[in-house]
Amino acid sequence: MEGCHSTGCDPEAIDADATLALVGCPNVGKSVVFGELAEQYVDVSNYPGTTVDTTLAEFGDYQLTDTPGVYGISAFNEEERVTREIVLEADAVVNVVDATHLDRDLFLTLQLLDMGIPTVVALNMMDEAEADGIDIDVEALESALGVPVVPTVAIDGEGFDELRERIPAADAPEETAIEEYYDELPDDLDVNRAEKTLLVEGDEPLAKQVDVGGVMADGGSPALVEPGLREEIYGQRRSRVQSITGTVQDVTRTDDSLAERVSDLMINPLTGTPIALALLGLIYYFIGDLVAQRLVDTLEGEVIGPHYIPAVESFVAGLLPEAAWIEPLEFLLINENLGLLTVTVQYVIGTLLPLVIAFYLAISVLEDSGVLPRLAVLTDRGLNRIGLNGRAVVPMIVGVGCVTMAVITTRMVGSKRERTISTALLGLAVPCSAQLGVIMGLMAGLGLIYWFGYLGILLVVLGVVGLFLDRTLPGQSEALVTELPRMRMPRPGNILRKTYNRAKMFLREAIPLFGATAVVVSALDYVGGLAAIQDGLRPLTSLVGMPADFGQILVLGLIRRDFAAAGMTDMALSSAQVFVGLVVITLFVPCILAMVMIFKEQDAKSALLMWVGSWVTAFTVGGVLAAAFGVFG
Amino acid sequence: MSEVLADVGSGEAVRLVSVPDGDTRARLLRLGFLDGTVTCRHHIHKGPVVVRRNGTDLALGSDLAREIEIERPAREASD
Repeated sequence: MEGCHSTGCDPEAIDADATLALVGCPNVGKSVVFGELAEQYVDVSNYPGTTVDTTLAEFGDYQLTDTPGVYGISAFNEEERVTREIVLEADAVVNVVDATHLDRDLFLTLQLLDMGIPTVVALNMMDEAEADGIDIDVEALESALGVPVVPTVAIDGEGFDELRERIPAADAPEETAIEEYYDELPDDLDVNRAEKTLLVEGDEPLAKQVDVGGVMADGGSPALVEPGLREEIYGQRRSRVQSITGTVQDVTRTDDSLAERVSDLMINPLTGTPIALALLGLIYYFIGDLVAQRLVDTLEGEVIGPHYIPAVESFVAGLLPEAAWIEPLEFLLINENLGLLTVTVQYVIGTLLPLVIAFYLAISVLEDSGVLPRLAVLTDRGLNRIGLNGRAVVPMIVGVGCVTMAVITTRMVGSKRERTISTALLGLAVPCSAQLGVIMGLMAGLGLIYWFGYLGILLVVLGVVGLFLDRTLPGQSEALVTELPRMRMPRPGNILRKTYNRAKMFLREAIPLFGATAVVVSALDYVGGLAAIQDGLRPLTSLVGMPADFGQILVLGLIRRDFAAAGMTDMALSSAQVFVGLVVITLFVPCILAMVMIFKEQDAKSALLMWVGSWVTAFTVGGVLAAAFGVFG
Repeated sequence: MSEVLADVGSGEAVRLVSVPDGDTRARLLRLGFLDGTVTCRHHIHKGPVVVRRNGTDLALGSDLAREIEIERPAREASD
């Protein structure tokens, strides 16, 4: 292939296994372009060592890689680090550029060319550009950039024959304006043009790597160049972008589109708040009621419960020989609390799978329509008070559907500090829909005043714990910096593909974890561990004014939250006891699946602290409430 | 004291002249928000400010908006 000379790769290796990376800003239609180019899906997986998922597929002789959307090649966050890594290893790049945002997107394009990465530009969304009154001279752009530029309308499949044809002609100019800055680097550096470009831009990971390689870096400082250089280079690149857009683009913008008006309505708190609440209601109805309650109940109660479980039980019992030594094994496989082949399968297939799919469907629609960042703008002010920014609104909404799923979405919220705060709040004070269903049933017998009291207490705990974590955790919360992409109708094909890929990846990671957990809990149960725990809980149950068999509820609550709430329906309790009991089991530890996810997503120490913190908070609040009821009632 | 982005009302056009944090400054520079005047699309009371440059909307949290210094371009010089 032609453009390969600049990276010095071996032409023979290319036919076997050349990589072609799809790179572009967020929301430019990369995944649709990917879907058009991909001849055969290979894999979706986490990029090694990160929580960012990337998709691989085949395209001709290339291995085609999707990358997270970025505005430039740098290392400001995890997504950027993944894209940066993939670009550095790619043999060629298809740079997807949004024709309606040429001025924003060409920075990345010029950066790729400065790096000498063989590039083809797919100038996407040409239809929207036309509708917006933006006229782009494609030929002029091609000669200004010096690489192939192919106009496309990805959602209609337009322009792809030409794009496929021209990918082998991916190229980069021999020399670009960045050259003058290379002198700032030490002479004896053994790096290629891409690395040189990143180094003069102050790229830290690369500077460290070069340093380890034995080349100097003054006083152990990771930067090889002066700190101000990045800005100078970015500024120079911006002026190149402006001079290109100035000549190739003619804008007669007609601003007031429908999408624009909807966007205005969503951001203005006066109209946005009711819209957001209605959306949340809809999502809750879909995930929390339709799927978590009805579908899951049907699956568990009418399919898995009466048909699957008895069948497996008799099959296993028939298969295993009658012997005393076999009994522990049989217990592990089919016990009633968390048998590996019975209840665990029921959780994963009957509960988790429908929830995971429903959840990813909802989140993909919110993402693709552009609603998500607008919700973030709307909630930013409130979430600031508890050390979070607007992006944390997603896990909080999802948490009311399923805390286990929500723990994963904390990946969206930004820095590690924010992830820790939102995960802790989720584990502590956000009841999941399964539990909420049973709780609502029990509360109905108590009256509306208790229901408001319950919600009030949860909100207070949420606020106080958030404030506390914000004050005690090191560092500062990140301010919201988020682009608001144009609002548009989501494409069903894209939504389904995203949902399928994400659900597949989630289950592939989660199933082994849950299986292992089931074995451990069952083993503990078999040797009498669970009963011992129940005995050990006596002092705590009396602290919150509950009878001794509340201990059993708590043990159930360790495994699954709604079981705990459901267990309370059979107990003879006063109104005050029901109320206190429900508050305690809500604040109590998240279900075992959620806990496993928390351990996976956080470090072990934070996860353990969250778990212990839930015990402390649940019984402190419960104790105070019990005392208050003792005084007043 | 110079004015900051948090003082700007919806519909006004200003230049962002000083962004204290280096990484944030680089991100804004990259997106073209330091090239010239930006329009304030929305300013939610005590909340984020949404600014627009060349059709790209960017929301900036209130803490950040309080740190970004701005200049109001003279009327005839505005682009």
